[in-house]
Amino acid sequence: MSIKYNLKMISKFRELIIFATLLFCVNNLFAAEGGPCKDYGECDEFKYSLNDMASLQKGASTFLNYCYGCHSLQYSRWGRVATDLQIPEDLFFENLVFDKSIKPGDLMTGSMSKEKSAQWFGVAPPDLTLVSRVRGDDWIYSYLRAYYEDSSKQYGVNNLVYPGTAMPNVLVGLQGNQKLVCKDVPVIAKNGGEKRDDSGNTITKEKCGYLKVEEGSGELTKEEFDTLIYDLTNFLVYVGEPAKATRERMGWYVIFYFLIFTALSALLYREYHKDYH
Amino acid sequence: MQEKDNTRRKVLIGLTSAVGLSGIPFAATPFIAAWNPSAKAKAAGASVKLDVSKMQYGQQIQVAWRKQPVFVIRHTKESLQSLEATLPKLADPDSDQIEELYRGINPTRSKSSEYTVIAGVCTHLGCSPKYHPEVEPKPWDASWAGGFFCPCHGSMFDMVGRVYKGVPAPTNLPVPPHFFKGSILTIGEDGGTA
Amino acid sequence: MSEMVGKLFGWVNSRLPIANTFERHLSKHPVPSKVNFWYLFGALASVVLIIQIVSGIWLIMPYSNTEEEAFSSIEYIMRDVDYGWVIRYMHTTGASMFFAVVYLHMFRGLLYGSYQKPKELVWIFGCAIYLAMMAEGFLGYVLPYGQMSYWGAQVIISLFGAIPYIGESLELWVRGDYYISGITVSRFFALHVVALPLVLIALVFLHLVALHEVGAGNPEGVDIEEYLDDDGVPLDSVPFFPYKVLNALVGIGVFMTVFAIIMFFFPEGGGYFIEMANFEEANPLVTPEHIAPVWYYSPYYAMLRAVPDKLGGLIVMGSAVAILFVVPWLDRSRVASIRYKGIYSKVALAFFGISFLTLGYLGTVGVTEVRKTMSVICTVIYFAFFLLMPFYTKYEKTKEVPKRL
Repeated sequence: MSIKYNLKMISKFRELIIFATLLFCVNNLFAAEGGPCKDYGECDEFKYSLNDMASLQKGASTFLNYCYGCHSLQYSRWGRVATDLQIPEDLFFENLVFDKSIKPGDLMTGSMSKEKSAQWFGVAPPDLTLVSRVRGDDWIYSYLRAYYEDSSKQYGVNNLVYPGTAMPNVLVGLQGNQKLVCKDVPVIAKNGGEKRDDSGNTITKEKCGYLKVEEGSGELTKEEFDTLIYDLTNFLVYVGEPAKATRERMGWYVIFYFLIFTALSALLYREYHKDYH
Repeated sequence: MQEKDNTRRKVLIGLTSAVGLSGIPFAATPFIAAWNPSAKAKAAGASVKLDVSKMQYGQQIQVAWRKQPVFVIRHTKESLQSLEATLPKLADPDSDQIEELYRGINPTRSKSSEYTVIAGVCTHLGCSPKYHPEVEPKPWDASWAGGFFCPCHGSMFDMVGRVYKGVPAPTNLPVPPHFFKGSILTIGEDGGTA
Repeated sequence: MSEMVGKLFGWVNSRLPIANTFERHLSKHPVPSKVNFWYLFGALASVVLIIQIVSGIWLIMPYSNTEEEAFSSIEYIMRDVDYGWVIRYMHTTGASMFFAVVYLHMFRGLLYGSYQKPKELVWIFGCAIYLAMMAEGFLGYVLPYGQMSYWGAQVIISLFGAIPYIGESLELWVRGDYYISGITVSRFFALHVVALPLVLIALVFLHLVALHEVGAGNPEGVDIEEYLDDDGVPLDSVPFFPYKVLNALVGIGVFMTVFAIIMFFFPEGGGYFIEMANFEEANPLVTPEHIAPVWYYSPYYAMLRAVPDKLGGLIVMGSAVAILFVVPWLDRSRVASIRYKGIYSKVALAFFGISFLTLGYLGTVGVTEVRKTMSVICTVIYFAFFLLMPFYTKYEKTKEVPKRL
């Protein structure tokens, strides 16, 4: 395919591209629905690292200690978690598997009966094996850090990412008490700059809906808690698709192979193309 | 010019074919591997562990392994001694006709000198033989010295599962791989030099 | 040894015309010498068909088509079956690639007038393949029995209910139950795995036979059969082997690279190839926030939502596909290829392409007043492209088509 022809194709579709871009922009201006993180605003960005075994191991430990009491991972098998996370099987079963009758090949079917938990919480705590694929990892990372005190709710907490959640704030002991506070924020003018008064001081106004943790009310600092949640979310990404790391690794080789194949077949084609061109 | 073109073509054809064909085994791998026993099959077929220290002498218990019944017998000294007496009645006392993992180590046909572990599947047509440890005359053998009797077609086996002569069953009850670590018996794996 | 093989081959060949068929339809089959990349998509479509069949067969093995086990059998494939995830992603990527390739293949048809006489039947079989593919894709998507499988099926099956008089009973009959259940899943399974693949293979065979009977086209719209050499072979043609095979090989290389990139790095396609809601098991009591079909149905979904009346929407949607079948008779142009058609055709095709893509986008997002208006406008443009075709193709000024390639 010649370069001239390529350019012709691009110009033909130029109008198409411009129109599509305009449409996209116009559309977003008129977008009506809220995002997945609801009152929290934009979900915090989360980047998984499935080759960081330490992070995954910590996440697994957090999950099994704090979450597995209510939430099952019914499609995941115990032994595979140990293998994939490079935890020696005996250590794993000694320290993280609390029901000693469990065998390595067993599925992680959870420790709470679904009927009873539906009675207690109104709705059975959902199985979390695929939560990172249903909700997204950004969502989970934001949700677990967005609890705040709300005396009008059953457990005294609410969540900005999932308003009205039936789940209590299990990690409050680690994070501390988080509250919704108001802050004085600068008023932004139409041109994007901060508005100032005559003496050059920034004009502020009160804006509410910010999350703030009571100092010292939790076992961990903010950074430590964020890291804990990062590791936990990382683990949930792993559990959602255990083959993910392998898939990405394999992908490079496959693509490389097809690039070589394409290059060679292009050379071969061009060689034979001489016959009739 | 023609010569050069031809060589170039040959080289390119060769290279492209080589690259193309080399990809085939890789492409085939997922499809072939997908037929391997899955994690679910491996879990279901996994070894069974049990603590045999609480077993009484002369007791037989039955566990399931890979959908088969497996008998575990804890022998009394008397029943082990009586094995000699039944020798002439047996078709294959040394298990020469079958593959047996722990042949010749112990009279129990196991690494343990106290326990016997055998598959409870009659080698005739697959029924489950019944455990009759009592040394007394039985309808099927006037000089019964204890063993297994299969109710389906009358096959008889001794206390360690060796088949009698002249019964429908052709071979001894098979011994599955197993090992003892302390009082824990693992059925399904050969524990090496445990 | 080779003499024996030769004799054996001769014996078979005198009873089954292998050699002759192979030469006529494969190795020596004359193909236009000058075509462009638009002509690769047919071959690529057959590659995808084979990928879908092979990966599909392997998926049936561990899949369970019951209501209780369907969803968990998919996770079983993804986790417990060795390389099961490869086969699953191969199939989902293949489904999206199938439609991408076929849409491009159809666009080539519109660009170069591939439907013009004597290739009308090739085009009609192609439209039938497209229709069968849409059904096949819908049925397949229900099988994992996730939230989107369930609710997508709910929406589409309820469309049957819009048909006057027989609608309600038809809906019940298709479902086999008073609500979507395992009965629906297992019958969809049979259709998806056996019935429609057989139909697709038969239609593809007919599509190719009809094509070979009259010969393939080219971007110039030149009739290569006009100038033949002494042996009756068109001068502007080359034998399929090795020239077109090698051309196809390059196309396949590029295609497989794209396929691999998607399959190994973006198998969910950002939620467009496998929708996020489908990682949750079907729950008849909870409706997902957005019910959207997979991307390749979205233009028609946008059309459906543009019409306020349910039956009207169904009719518009159906007509949008039905009208494709009659394009050979709508296009009254003297020339086949867009290169030699007049300005009206070029503008019309550009508008058609833009409106189809826009409808595709609109079908994936939530409804707002602005978007609804846009959907209506684009639907009108879509139909105008076809309904006005007899006029603008007849009365526009076309260019002179060359005699030779």
